[in-house]
Amino acid sequence: MNRHPYLRAYMAGVLLPSWMLLVVLAVIVSGIPPESVDRAIIFPMAVVPNLWGVWNVLYIAMAPRRLSLGVFGAILPLMLVPAGLALARVIDLRVYTSGHALAILPVGMAVYYLAWKYVVAFFNRVAGLGDAYQRRP
Amino acid sequence: MTDDDLIRALQTAVPRWPDDRPATDLWPRMLRRLDQAPPPFGWLEAALVAAILVVFAVFPKIVPVLLWHL
Repeated sequence: MNRHPYLRAYMAGVLLPSWMLLVVLAVIVSGIPPESVDRAIIFPMAVVPNLWGVWNVLYIAMAPRRLSLGVFGAILPLMLVPAGLALARVIDLRVYTSGHALAILPVGMAVYYLAWKYVVAFFNRVAGLGDAYQRRP
Repeated sequence: MTDDDLIRALQTAVPRWPDDRPATDLWPRMLRRLDQAPPPFGWLEAALVAAILVVFAVFPKIVPVLLWHL
């Protein structure tokens, strides 16, 4: 089963944020003004899952590598948080400020480290990418 | 055109799907993958979980902002 490893990596990366989207939707719908919901949902629905998938593809494509999957995943918020902040400004989403972005960056990196080390790594193993493509645990 | 003509036309127009089924049953291999031991949960991970929970408890307003990035 060594065919299409990048497609499998993309699907394995997309899975967790797609599940989380249900929780995010519930929080967004209940927590922000109704007129902002359609704009606020763009980022967690379209940008975040795709970036997770592409990030996992990048990790697989970089084999052999030196970084563990957890550390590699923890780097993602360094791009995702500024991107979210920029998008929030473009779409005039006032509930999200640069102060928020700075505050959540370290926490987000910690959450991402754990999510990538345990959940995405599990999905990669199930998708047949764990042994052949992962040098470190 | 009869139904048989339509079926024949479709069969000639659409190429036959290649019969490349795996030679062995893949399910036992999948079970072995599912049973593989996860990475160890060490002191660093425990400290991270504790720190995250403390931050969430002290600053609950950042939880929805963080969820926005998940």
